[in-house]
Amino acid sequence: MVDAARQPLIEIKAFTDVEKVEGFVGNFKVTLREKAKYVRADRCNGCNACSLACPVEVPNYFEMNLSSRKAAYVPMSQSVPLIYTIDMDACIHCYKCVEACGSLQAIDFGMQDKVTEEDIGAIVVATGFSHFDPTPMMEYGYGHFPNVITAMEMERLNNSAGPTRGSLIRPSDNVKPKRLAIINCVGSRDKRYIQSCSNFCCMYAIKNALLLKQAIPDIDISIYYIDIRTPSKGYEEFYDRAREAGIKFVQGRPAEITEDPETHQLFIKSEDITLGRVVEHEYDMVMLNQAAIPQPDQNHMSSVLNVAQSPGGWFMEYHPKLRPMDSPTDGIFFAGACQGPKDIPASVAQGSAAAARASRILHSDTWQIEPTVAVVWPDRCVSGKGQACGICDRACPYGAINYEKGSAAEVVTAKCHGCGACVGECPHDAVTQLHFTDAQVLSQIRTLLAVEPEKKILAFRCQWCSYGGADLAGTSHFEYSANERGLRVMCSARMDADLIFEAFRLGAGAILYSGCHPQDCHYITGQVAGAKRASRLEKMFERMGMSPGRFRTEWISAAEGDKYARVINEMQATLDEIPMEELKSEIERLKPEMEKKLSKLNQIPGVEEALIQVDFIVNEMLGKAVSA
Amino acid sequence: MTAKAKIALFQCRWCLFSPADQEWVDTQLPENIHLTKTPCTGKINPLYLLNAIQGGADGIMISGCLPEQCHFKTGNLAARRQLEEFNDFLHYIGYEKERVHFLWLDLQDRGIIQKELAAFEAELEAMGSTQHLATRVMRAEGGENA
Amino acid sequence: MSQTNPESLAERVKAIPGGEMLMMCFSCGTCTSKCMIQEKLEPNYNPRRLIREAVFNYKEEAFADETTWLCSACDLCYPACPQKIHISGVITVIKQLAVAEGKQTPYQTAKVDEATCVACGLCVSVCPYEAISLVEKKVAFRGLIPVASVDPGKCMACGMCSAACRSTSIRLTEDFNDQQLIEDLWTWLERKTI
Repeated sequence: MVDAARQPLIEIKAFTDVEKVEGFVGNFKVTLREKAKYVRADRCNGCNACSLACPVEVPNYFEMNLSSRKAAYVPMSQSVPLIYTIDMDACIHCYKCVEACGSLQAIDFGMQDKVTEEDIGAIVVATGFSHFDPTPMMEYGYGHFPNVITAMEMERLNNSAGPTRGSLIRPSDNVKPKRLAIINCVGSRDKRYIQSCSNFCCMYAIKNALLLKQAIPDIDISIYYIDIRTPSKGYEEFYDRAREAGIKFVQGRPAEITEDPETHQLFIKSEDITLGRVVEHEYDMVMLNQAAIPQPDQNHMSSVLNVAQSPGGWFMEYHPKLRPMDSPTDGIFFAGACQGPKDIPASVAQGSAAAARASRILHSDTWQIEPTVAVVWPDRCVSGKGQACGICDRACPYGAINYEKGSAAEVVTAKCHGCGACVGECPHDAVTQLHFTDAQVLSQIRTLLAVEPEKKILAFRCQWCSYGGADLAGTSHFEYSANERGLRVMCSARMDADLIFEAFRLGAGAILYSGCHPQDCHYITGQVAGAKRASRLEKMFERMGMSPGRFRTEWISAAEGDKYARVINEMQATLDEIPMEELKSEIERLKPEMEKKLSKLNQIPGVEEALIQVDFIVNEMLGKAVSA
Repeated sequence: MTAKAKIALFQCRWCLFSPADQEWVDTQLPENIHLTKTPCTGKINPLYLLNAIQGGADGIMISGCLPEQCHFKTGNLAARRQLEEFNDFLHYIGYEKERVHFLWLDLQDRGIIQKELAAFEAELEAMGSTQHLATRVMRAEGGENA
Repeated sequence: MSQTNPESLAERVKAIPGGEMLMMCFSCGTCTSKCMIQEKLEPNYNPRRLIREAVFNYKEEAFADETTWLCSACDLCYPACPQKIHISGVITVIKQLAVAEGKQTPYQTAKVDEATCVACGLCVSVCPYEAISLVEKKVAFRGLIPVASVDPGKCMACGMCSAACRSTSIRLTEDFNDQQLIEDLWTWLERKTI
């Protein structure tokens, strides 16, 4: 950190909030609010005189509230930059600090928050993680029993700069503990709280145990665990060292901690799984190794930066394996635990990768993006004719569409990610997606349904999940009905109702509408738009009297090849149950309804010509096949 | 009163989560306290209480689990309904309400029962002995079971 | 593999409501340490082990396991389970399967004295396990009359019925029988040297 502060090309903006991020890769406009410190950065020399003079004491958040700090403070002695701040929530305006500061005149009670807008080329998000508060877990008695402490509190108690100057004492009577228990997986791997594994706590427990053992050789330490996870290089060896040093490992998650109300001794009852029976041991002190959770304001940051969140609340990466440091928004990168719990080596690796990614942007004059962007036909957009619409603007997960009543909507190409949600939603077919134009997709549908369409199952698959699922079903040799015909679009949001109507008009036997699970959507909220449309379609078809099961919606991830095969086979079974004559008459009966919905289809630029060509080619090929 | 207060302790066998407490109750109860362990407070028949009072017990303590921690789902709730009602009746016939003490214990309680028993004993000694309901003739004196 | 065989114990347990989550157990031992039966009643009691037995299709062991018969469904373990498995639900399902195969509980259950039962139904309403019902039965010297009847597959021997009975016609006969408890109480009451 000190090195970073000394580097002339790095500017540290401490105590500053990011309020707004606009623009796109290479051209972000970021609004920053530099909060008033009431101490002038250009004059403060970090001498600590104001803090010494300050009469107000408040709990020190940095020390996990185990000690106090003054209202004029720095979070810790190694703070960079070393500039004091006056906590206005605690300040009593006695101005003793002003006196203490003397001729430096660094303290300025008239200071205001400073809001600035800056041009930024790339953004690296490294907001870190927070800790699960074990208070709701009544069984462990945190907050109730004084000698049950969290890992962070232990970290401070065992730190030579901490409130006890590094000597470990137990809070109830300030005595050095002789027996210490560490409980792993407090809140993590727990469906009641945080379902996921927090990745680093096993190693963290072992590290703390070894440190304490070195500091207090006669301390007796037990670590209670469900599984010990030591997956990286050198970690298992570290675990060996801990056992060698005499640290005891108990497999068995404790159910209850009880306390002697007189002596504040703690008793942990757990099943010792290796022994197969319940044991109760007495301890002087218990450390709870809490789960890692996203920062409390992670949701807020996610909306400011316009990046999606994974199910646990962490920022969602572009691709979990191939691009873990990229956000789905070009030009925004992740470093460290804001993207998911990770230990120091992994954070450093990701941070370095993110920095390299960002510097690529900073060193280029032009930037390549995916070619599948959306384009508006201005003459078809009703907004240009003065009607209020804005549906595309609302559909866009990236805010890439500039909509203003009176002028045709515009796509900011650099911000567009090519999901096609606007294309699918536009009721006037005024938007199209390059490489997935209506003409192109309709041509594919027509070709796929050229022969015996009533026997076919047309599967709309999204590029990222269900297409991958189908792929996996293929590579895993899961058999599914050969009547399936797959059609790829970028996102379920692109699966325009018109496309479904056209497929049914052509006589498709069944249609599968498939995409990602809601939390996995590659385009933040694309799947939500797709799911809404699908449920609308389902109801519409039900009203029309379509046999149930002919239109089916399923969310299939790229890992669910078996599900893809099962769904297709189930659809085939449903189709088989309907007698062919009945099916054909149903298709004929519904045809006029579909045609009614598609009356304007041929007006879309390029569609009519494309379909004439497709019909010509298909007929040619079929003609040859028949004659040969 | 010179003799110690006689306390009949009725305890549900599950209500002491800590093994140390159970050990104490099982083996180290003073002589003036008699432990009757039951599978559940719901098993405590009002007849037990009546027998204890007829035999001259100065106080009755019933220790069980808190609601929702009953080993038999609703046993403690049934006991509350039945025994607290019965306590009103005992009060009516002249056995003071304070002489019947309910102790509902939480899983995390530790060392509570010793304290509660001591406090109850002191309270009973302050109230003095009650013998006017001790109607039964003891076996040694030619009573019914002699 | 045994898991995919619908006849295997795991699949049968999963098919019955209550047993669905069987396979989610990751053997952390919380249920065993939360439960008091191992400490207070039967040292060999272990819900975690019973779930393993069901998962790996050790049917005979599972049906003979103390855990199958002693769990009283107090559900202390359910809110403690980090996998949100309704453990007593799983155990109840295993017990149902065992009863269906003709196994009986090796532990005591409540007994009805049919000579004095008046079929008032107090025990029926108080039983937490719905183990008691009134049935028409031919009783010696009383003819065909309704009396209470205990289902030994459901009774957990809590004794609530015996406390509720107004005619002392239903009770636990082995451990904790009323006579023995009152006898002990009297022995203490009659002691002069307190």
